[in-house]
Amino acid sequence: MMKKLDVFFNPKTVAVIGASRDPNSVGYGILKNLTTGGFFESRFSKPFPGKVYPINPNADQILGVKCYKNITDIMEDIDLALIAVPAKIVPIVIKDCIKKRVGGVILISAGFAEMNEEGRKLQEDIVKMLRSAGIPLVGPNCLGVIRTPSHLNASFAPSMPPHGSVAFLSQSGAIADSIIDWAIEHRYGMSTLISYGNRADLDVHDYIEWLGEDPETKSIALYIEGIKDGRKFMEVARKVSKKKPIIALKAGRTSEGAKAISSHTGSLAGSYEIYKTAFKQSNVLVADTIEELFDLAKALANQPACKENAVAIITNGGGCGVLCADYCSNLGVNLVELKKSTIQKLDKSKKMHPAYSRRNPLDIIGDALPEQYETAINALLAEPYIHGLIIIQTLQTMTNPEKDAEIIIEAHKKYPNKPIICTYMGGKYSKHGINTLETHNIPDFNDVSKAAKAMWALVKKGEITK
Amino acid sequence: MEQLDIEKTIVILKKYSLSFLDYRLADSPDKAAILAKKAGFPVAMKVASPDIIHKSDIVGVKIGLNNEGDAKKAYEDIIKSARKKAPKAKLKGVYIQKMGQGTEVIIGMKRDEQFGPVLMFGLGGIFVEVFKDISFRVLPIDKKQAIEMISEIKSSSILKGTRGKKPVNLDALASLLVKASKIAEKKEIAEFDFNPVIADEKRAVIADARIMVQ
Repeated sequence: MMKKLDVFFNPKTVAVIGASRDPNSVGYGILKNLTTGGFFESRFSKPFPGKVYPINPNADQILGVKCYKNITDIMEDIDLALIAVPAKIVPIVIKDCIKKRVGGVILISAGFAEMNEEGRKLQEDIVKMLRSAGIPLVGPNCLGVIRTPSHLNASFAPSMPPHGSVAFLSQSGAIADSIIDWAIEHRYGMSTLISYGNRADLDVHDYIEWLGEDPETKSIALYIEGIKDGRKFMEVARKVSKKKPIIALKAGRTSEGAKAISSHTGSLAGSYEIYKTAFKQSNVLVADTIEELFDLAKALANQPACKENAVAIITNGGGCGVLCADYCSNLGVNLVELKKSTIQKLDKSKKMHPAYSRRNPLDIIGDALPEQYETAINALLAEPYIHGLIIIQTLQTMTNPEKDAEIIIEAHKKYPNKPIICTYMGGKYSKHGINTLETHNIPDFNDVSKAAKAMWALVKKGEITK
Repeated sequence: MEQLDIEKTIVILKKYSLSFLDYRLADSPDKAAILAKKAGFPVAMKVASPDIIHKSDIVGVKIGLNNEGDAKKAYEDIIKSARKKAPKAKLKGVYIQKMGQGTEVIIGMKRDEQFGPVLMFGLGGIFVEVFKDISFRVLPIDKKQAIEMISEIKSSSILKGTRGKKPVNLDALASLLVKASKIAEKKEIAEFDFNPVIADEKRAVIADARIMVQ
């Protein structure tokens, strides 16, 4: 099964059944995405380097690409067929795909199990046909698949996100769309984006299993509404999370009230509680919001695990240090006590402000210059008993966000096995420093609560992969 | 889904080696007084009838009975109330059970549509009812996970001994959770509630059990 999924992420030839000349149609959007990388141009979108075959019985060419009347008319083998035709003619098209022996099918069309009983029946028939032919199916009722390293935008999403190492699996197509737009704006890097829709054939655990072996993916973010086969999900997630962090955002947390179950246990065992339990038992981290899902996925993809729960904070603002300590404490992130020898080392350097805190959080005082940051960061990272570092920077007249960022990047190169999370508090005048950090894969969060949560995730990663 | 009667419930509890506070059947007020004394006060009494499952609905339960006089009177009250509220029910008499002394906890199992059998654990009374302070595990579980379940609830410090109270035997309680969870392997059992389970420094024992079958 695993090998079979390769066609969705690295195809050489793609056919678009239902390619259309109407710029407002899904079939046009898909073709445009394949031929240019993104309907909305972005510097991250490039044309798909493989061959694209539009299928439309009534057009000679669309977007300058030669059309075929039927997929069976194409001489070359087809790795991947995208289908965007009305539901009722999908079975005919599927038969053609089977005849053509395509490697895989992405069924974009809606009007199946999500609609009514008739649609459910139609969906079952299609799955039966494809399964007996051994052809895997993504969807139906989905956005499609995006694979950045292959420059493959096999979807009608607005554009292509930047290349990175977070994979996003979304049960909702619309959330995926918005995330792409947001990712472009924030240079949020992704390896893969899969909108899996009705998951009639391939289900979320199949994708997780594939991504578990994917060298391009370093963390897996899930947006989940419901899981069909909970046991299978747990089995796969438990296996994959040992190698790669998985973070889930579950929607529909409160609907359980509707389900009346007679016994006392039933009435309390709201399904979100059970989901949370199942996630915990299979080492899937839980995010509360979309923002948190992507914050954690970013930290987990770009920073090493925090091998022991022993973290230090360096700050040039006392208040932020205290707040961050509070958040860490609430999350169970352990702030280590700094050893006397560490303080002596800092004292001896003669670089620290006379009033620096000499304890964790290490407050290096508001007028800290890059030199003070450099001394403190390197001193703490050098300590074998400190396993992760949160660096907070508030902006004063003498603060140098750019230079501080360079120091942090250098320190991370020197100590690549210890995670660093930054909080450059501010906006306009911190922006360049933040960009420098982020382009070097040092996650920065605009709030210490998010930094604490990110470090929590890295501590969990350490516990899970131990 | 229907509830197993007390005899069948006890068969299941025995089969899975689950310790429970034993019942004795009294079929007269005098017998009730004798059995109550034998069990040791305080005792609890429940109506014994295969036709009456939800005992508290018809005031079929009396607890905290401290002497033979109270036991006699409770017998009469329970039978009277049962005759009045369930005139067609066949009455065998009243079950008498010694009341456990210790911390009350709840163990439950239900079958989740997505994840299959799930075990629930919580502290009895307001902790479950009001604070919803409960932990879950998708089954099966081992003893280590059972101990995690116990430690996970917010009120777990109560079990570990607070305000002069002795800690409960966590090992015994965890063993009971694991044994109870094995019942889920029996597919025809849809769900169960052991409420309360009495835990003290020595042991954990089921005082009341509700087992639902498909």
